Amino acid sequence: MNEIFALVEHRQGIIRDITYELLSCGRKLAEKGNTKLTAVILGHNTDNFVQILKGQAHRLLVVDNEVYEDFNSEVYQTALTEIIKRQNPVLTLISHSAFGVDLCPALAAQLGMPFTTDCLDVELAEQKLKVTRQIYDGKLNAKVLLRENAGYMITLRSGCFPAGESSLDGVVEKIDTPVSAQPDYRKFIEYIEAAVGEVDITKSDVLVSVGRGVKEKAYLSIIEDFAETIGGVVGCSRPVVDAGWLPKDRQIGSSGKTVKPKLYIALGISGAFQHIIGMKGADTIIAVNKDPNAPIFSEADYGIVDDLFKVVPVLKTKILEMKQAKG
Amino acid sequence: MDIIVCIKRVAQTAEADVKIDSSGKDIVKDRLTFDMNESDTYALEEAILLKEKFGGTLTAVSLGTVQAEDTLRIALAKGADSAIRIKAEDFEGLDGYKTAQLLKAAIKDLKFDVVFTGCIATDDYYSQVGVTLAELLGVPHATLVTKIDIQDTKAQVHRELEGGLIEHLDMTLPALFTIQTGINEPRYASLIAIRRAAKKEIKVIGASEIEPTGIQANASLEELFTPPAGKRAEILSGSMDEISAKVAGIIKEKGLI
Amino acid sequence: MNFDLTNDQKMLQDQVKKFADSVLAPVAPDIDKSGEFPWDNIKKMAELGLLGIIIPEEYGGAGFDYISLAIAIEEISRACASTGVIVAVNNSLAGYPIMQFGNEEQKKKYLPLLCKGEKLGAFGLTEPNAGSDVAAMETTARLDGDHYILNGTKRFITNAGEAGIYMVFAYTNKELKHKGMSTFIVERDTPGFSLGKHEDLMGIRATANCELIFEDVKIPRENLLGKEGEGFKMCMNTLDVSRIDIGAQAVGIAQSALDESIKYSKERKTFGQPICNFQMVQSMLAEMATEIQAARMLVYYAGHCKNKGMTRFSKEAAMAKYYASSISVDVARKAVQIHGGYGYTKDYPIERIYRDAKILELYEGTNEIQKIIIARELTR
Ligand SMILES: Cc1cc2nc3c(=O)[nH]c(=O)nc-3n(C[C@H](O)[C@H](O)[C@H](O)COP(=O)(O)OP(=O)(O)OC[C@H]3O[C@@H](n4cnc5c(N)ncnc54)[C@H](O)[C@@H]3O)c2cc1C
Ligand SMILES: Cc1cc2nc3c(=O)[nH]c(=O)nc-3n(C[C@H](O)[C@H](O)[C@H](O)COP(=O)(O)OP(=O)(O)OC[C@H]3O[C@@H](n4cnc5c(N)ncnc54)[C@H](O)[C@@H]3O)c2cc1C
Ligand SMILES: Cc1cc2nc3c(=O)[nH]c(=O)nc-3n(C[C@H](O)[C@H](O)[C@H](O)COP(=O)(O)OP(=O)(O)OC[C@H]3O[C@@H](n4cnc5c(N)ncnc54)[C@H](O)[C@@H]3O)c2cc1C
Repeated sequence: MNEIFALVEHRQGIIRDITYELLSCGRKLAEKGNTKLTAVILGHNTDNFVQILKGQAHRLLVVDNEVYEDFNSEVYQTALTEIIKRQNPVLTLISHSAFGVDLCPALAAQLGMPFTTDCLDVELAEQKLKVTRQIYDGKLNAKVLLRENAGYMITLRSGCFPAGESSLDGVVEKIDTPVSAQPDYRKFIEYIEAAVGEVDITKSDVLVSVGRGVKEKAYLSIIEDFAETIGGVVGCSRPVVDAGWLPKDRQIGSSGKTVKPKLYIALGISGAFQHIIGMKGADTIIAVNKDPNAPIFSEADYGIVDDLFKVVPVLKTKILEMKQAKG
Repeated sequence: MDIIVCIKRVAQTAEADVKIDSSGKDIVKDRLTFDMNESDTYALEEAILLKEKFGGTLTAVSLGTVQAEDTLRIALAKGADSAIRIKAEDFEGLDGYKTAQLLKAAIKDLKFDVVFTGCIATDDYYSQVGVTLAELLGVPHATLVTKIDIQDTKAQVHRELEGGLIEHLDMTLPALFTIQTGINEPRYASLIAIRRAAKKEIKVIGASEIEPTGIQANASLEELFTPPAGKRAEILSGSMDEISAKVAGIIKEKGLI
Repeated sequence: MNFDLTNDQKMLQDQVKKFADSVLAPVAPDIDKSGEFPWDNIKKMAELGLLGIIIPEEYGGAGFDYISLAIAIEEISRACASTGVIVAVNNSLAGYPIMQFGNEEQKKKYLPLLCKGEKLGAFGLTEPNAGSDVAAMETTARLDGDHYILNGTKRFITNAGEAGIYMVFAYTNKELKHKGMSTFIVERDTPGFSLGKHEDLMGIRATANCELIFEDVKIPRENLLGKEGEGFKMCMNTLDVSRIDIGAQAVGIAQSALDESIKYSKERKTFGQPICNFQMVQSMLAEMATEIQAARMLVYYAGHCKNKGMTRFSKEAAMAKYYASSISVDVARKAVQIHGGYGYTKDYPIERIYRDAKILELYEGTNEIQKIIIARELTR
């Protein structure tokens, strides 16, 4: 079997965590398929990356040029088309991130290669590729077979392939860049940091987080009141921000903040993986949701299947009683 | 400015029971409600705002069954000038790639400066139709777009990255954008617009109108299954009072208060 | 025969439903408590065309038919009963009579204002001593040169506190009884016209229900609607139309009661299982759903009669109003029953829904009056 490629994702000079998950998945597949894993690094001032990743792959293919410093899918696509055509990997692994979703479909389509996105599990045997994906708001899984081909490309969901230890001694191979400038039709300009809000939810030990289940802005006062009682602050899922009920800096998840509080109470949050990513590091997670099949219950330590508006007032009273008994 | 927006009608499953049907390859749909995919409502609104600003035409396209025409008609009522349905019943084994191929076949002869899609469909969760379509049309793209400022053929674009970081791009039209939720505030159609839209014809194209024939899908479904239980929360039961007391106990035990 | 909604009706239902769920429903509990008139939402509904559903486009309306009117009012009332009747009055008790009986100047002057929500409409018929017995009315209008001089008091008038355009019924010739009654378009800022008591209602509490007091109010002659003496006929014809609305409001309120009951009965457990498993609860749910569907059909049918241009469909309209409102109160009562003690608290919406429902059997002609109308038509 030909080699497996894993594309290194970096931003602002730092390798992103998902990269280690891709590499770990790639190593396992390579071992099973009796082949090798190549980490593909497109970047600038890559020595540091090479240092860090040397132990993680059999080979490191490095293309170093200014043009790769910041991600631009057009630039990456042109370069990778060249490289993949020349090297014919059996499978290219890319992260299912803002980087990967911008790149993979176009790159694979250009190469005429079967691809699929957002994979939770991968089986590669006898040149056949089967992946598991999640559909319908995470309520079902689908096993999907890709059209048989010499090469495949997929994006992997983060958090599904734990990064593992590895002590390979990767061979470093530098190649000339196929691209030297950003095209006029798509130019990276700058990063804009998210505005800093009045409350830093990442600093709080206790987070009360609300989702679309809170139904309307007016009810947030109930939640805020509850959070105050238990000495926490209010965070939320994305739809709450989209609706303008809370500022963006309260959003938890892949396109919001990552939090690791001691206690995380999820109220009316279904548990989409984009949300889970941001809060699964919490020590204790308590979820309240009316739907017993809501995926959040696969992440939480404790679950209450009920209407949050019934739970919150009673819980508040109980906690007040407890505090009084103490004080 | 000529604009195309791709719209998908999807089952609303966030709060519904999702069950696998007897074929094992589809879900039981008769009790589900269907509606315009969430990010597509934002894509449509963005398209309407652009049209209101610059004039031009707005075409909505959907690959779907005849019910998708109801969804397209809502797009017409909100501000699209014309609508095209590609007959999903004419095609088998649709995946993101084949969907993009069919969308391309339907719009390739139309004039356009901008194509919008949603960033993800909430049923199949691929996030691939938009970018694939851009590649097939030969135009640049940007995904997860949260802001677009257009002047002549130049677009200043914001993409949303992980952690809420924004990537600012300069792009040239024609281009395709996949729209993230929250970029605008989708409107409701006015009654007058609804009445006008009801009379508009929706163009329907089927297999015989699509070139090339025999587009191959990238992926085929092997099986559907309920996600393995994995870690499961301990579900607290009893009266609300008892449940709350348990939670208070847990909080106390962990020394959180 | 075709039971399917047309494309425009389906779209109207879809958009009004979404609007009602995300804009109207959230404030319904608050305005029930405060009694505050929902002006913000009224303005939003004006933009969508919901204040002039049946008014032709040339006068600023949306130009829909009467089944569509019912569909819209049902969806609005399902989310908020107060808002439902505010909109219904504007459409059918103010907009409709001007559209139907007004002259071109009156239509051009008043209909766009009503449709845009710049001035809301109200309907002043009932008086302290004249409810069911319309002819017992005491308000009079005396012609004096270019003006009518209006004197009297109207009671229980929906929208009164916030309206700008009032359809007021008065005797121009008391001797002629019914045939001496006339209709006037009265503007809010006319000297001598003031508001009396603001009613503290049991339900639909955000409807600005007030008394209208007329003391030597000078109404320009051109504000007479139709001809002198036609007031009673216009009134009855208008009420036929607005009974479609009230029937639709009843269906909407009942539907919300059923929706809440289904949800609750699946969540609430007694004797180790959800109460929806018990056949006596199921029986209630089945009755409720069936009655609602039957009521909806009667309402649509009354709308259909009006769409067809039937000049007299009092029986059909009365049947729709009578049946829909009775079952609505009954459905709401059962819904409280299904909720048990919780249904009697303000923690659940069903308590408000029950209070809101009761008005349906009273206004726009009590249900006893509806039965009189139906029977009279049967035995005519
Ligand atoms: C690129 C991208 C990035 C994203 N980034 C993020 C992110 O950073 N953070 C994030 O959160 N999402 C993110 N999302 C969105 C994510 O996919 C989900 O749409 C979102 O997390 C769902 O939010 P929710 O759980 O609040 O809403 P829903 O999925 O609509 O769930 C609402 C839940 O509330 C329950 N509920 C309703 N009423 C009640 C009640 N009265 N009592 C109890 N329970 C109730 C329902 O059963 C349901 O489970 C992203 C999506 C994309 C495509
Ligand atoms: C084996 C299998 C069988 C299937 N059978 C059917 C079937 O019979 N009928 C069917 O309708 N689907 C079927 N599907 C699903 C389907 O084809 C998906 O719509 C397709 O895979 C695209 O993925 P997505 O919707 O997740 O797209 P995403 O890439 O997540 O969607 C992003 C955006 O692309 C646009 N878009 C996506 N789909 C459409 C569309 N159909 N029309 C217009 N714009 C669109 C929208 O703007 C959307 O927001 C099947 C899928 C599989 C795997
Ligand atoms: C919230 C609210 C909003 C209203 N909005 C308006 C409005 O916008 N405009 C307006 O003009 N009016 C309005 N009304 C008034 C309403 O239409 C009257 O209250 C209704 O017509 C009944 O009149 P009444 O209250 O005088 O009762 P009465 O006529 O005194 O009736 C009392 C009881 O006697 C019964 N009854 C009377 N006569 C007979 C009979 N011949 N045979 C059998 N039973 C009979 C009635 O059915 C009723 O049960 C409103 C009332 C309320 C409470």
